[in-house]
Amino acid sequence: MTTLNRPLALLAELTYRCPLQCPYCSNPLELGRYRQELDTETWIRVLGEASELGVVQIHFSGGEPLVRRDIYDLVREARRLELYSNMSTGATVVDGTTLDRLREAGLDHLQVSLLDTDPDSNDRLAGTRSFDRKREAVRGAKERGFPVTLNVVLHRQNLDRIEDVIRIALEWNVDRLELANTQYTGWAFRNRAALMPTRAQFEHAQAVVERARSGEAARLDILHVLPDYYQELPKACLQGWGNVFMNVAPDGAVLPCQTAREITGLEFPNVRDQSLQAIWTDAPVFQRFRGTDWLPEPCRSCDRREVDFGGCRCQAFLMTGDAGATDPVCHLSPHHHLVGEALKEAERSDPPLQYRVMSV
Amino acid sequence: MRAGAAGRHVALRPAPAMSEDRVIRRPVLAAHARYRWDKLRDQHQLVFPEGMIVLNDSAAAIVQLCDGRPTDELIAALVAKLKEPIPASELSDDVQGCLRHLVERGLLRDDAE
Repeated sequence: MTTLNRPLALLAELTYRCPLQCPYCSNPLELGRYRQELDTETWIRVLGEASELGVVQIHFSGGEPLVRRDIYDLVREARRLELYSNMSTGATVVDGTTLDRLREAGLDHLQVSLLDTDPDSNDRLAGTRSFDRKREAVRGAKERGFPVTLNVVLHRQNLDRIEDVIRIALEWNVDRLELANTQYTGWAFRNRAALMPTRAQFEHAQAVVERARSGEAARLDILHVLPDYYQELPKACLQGWGNVFMNVAPDGAVLPCQTAREITGLEFPNVRDQSLQAIWTDAPVFQRFRGTDWLPEPCRSCDRREVDFGGCRCQAFLMTGDAGATDPVCHLSPHHHLVGEALKEAERSDPPLQYRVMSV
Repeated sequence: MRAGAAGRHVALRPAPAMSEDRVIRRPVLAAHARYRWDKLRDQHQLVFPEGMIVLNDSAAAIVQLCDGRPTDELIAALVAKLKEPIPASELSDDVQGCLRHLVERGLLRDDAE
C-alpha cells in the first residue's frame, strides 16, 4: 500500500500561446486543440485549492505566462496564500513596467530562457528576434532585485558554445544558471535526431562546467541536468508519478506531468469539473503509475525502485509504445537498445528542425 | 515552455567540497530562497525554485536571522531566545555547521566575502 503524499509543486501552464517557437518545447504537438483557456476566477480557485491541498510552490509557465493580462492578479493571489512563486518566461514581452508590477505582486523568482549565446542562432531557434530583449529583461530584473535563473536548454546546435553560456551568465549577472540538456519528449522527441548531441560534445561540456564551477564561475549557482540518453540509469522523473507534482494545463486539464498528453489512452480530469483535492486523491490517471506496485520487471525487484520509480513514463511510451515499461534509458531495460539506435541515428543524420507554432 | 522545468528531473550539483573549518561571518539568505511555515505539515521550510528543505526548530531560528548581520550577533540573538541561556561559545560549532550546509546547497551566501 502506497501512502498518499500531499503535492508540493503545481505547474500552472496559463497558456500555450507564445511568441517563441522553440523546437524542443514540452507543450503538446496539437497546440490548436487547447485554445479554451481557464478564466481568472477559475485560476484563483485553483490556487486556493492547491494551497489547501499542501502545494508549497507555484510555477507560472506556459507558453508565455506574461501574455495573460491577469498574470499580476494570479501572482498576487499566490503571495497572499504564502505560496512560493516562480515564473518561467521567454522574456520577450517584458519591460520595466512588467517587472515593477511582478515585483509589487510578490513574485519570488524569475527564470529566463536563453536559446543560444550567439544572437543570430538564438533568434533562429526562437523563430523571432529575442536575444536583445532577453538581455534587457535580465538587466531590468536584476536592477529591481529579482533573483534570476538563466535557463539554457542544451543540444547539438548550441552545446559547443558552453563556455560562452557561462560567460554570458556572468556578464548578465544572473544568480543561477540552469544548464538543461534537452529531454526528448514533446517537440524535442520529434526533433530528436537534429538535437541529440554527440558523446564527445556532451563530455566536453561536462568538463567545461566542472572547471568553471571551481574557477571563474564559482559565485554562480550552476545546475546541470545531464542528457539521460548518455546515462546508465534513468532520472527520477517528477520524483514519481502522482507523488509531489501536478500540472494544470491552459484548458484546465490536470496532468501528472506536463508531457503526459503524449501517452495515448489516458483520460485527464479537469478543474472545471472537479476540485484539485478530488483529482489528486481519486483520479485514475494519478493512480495509474503512483507508487511502486505497478512496476514491471526489472524494476519490481530492483534496489532502485524507490529511487527512480522506473524513470520517465512519457519517455517509456514514446520509445516503446508502453507507458508502463521500464524507461529504456536504464541499462537493465529490455528496450535499452533503442537508446543506442537513437544515438546512432542522430550521428548519421542531420534533419532540419521543426518549429513549434502557436503565436500570441 | 521547455521540458524539464519544475523539478522534472534531478539537477546535479557538485559534491560538497567545503572544508570543515570554513567560517561564515555574515550569512545572508540567497535571494531565491524563502523561509515559510507550513501549517498543514506543521513544519519549517526553506523553499527555492526546484524544491524545498525541511528545517528543524534550531535551523529555522538560524535561517530567520540570516539577514547579513555578523554571525556573532546572530548567535547572541539565538541565545537571547533560549529559556535557559547557555554561553554563545557552546552554540558556535552547531551554528557554523548549519550555515555551511546551507552555503553548500546554494541557499545562503557569506556577505563578508
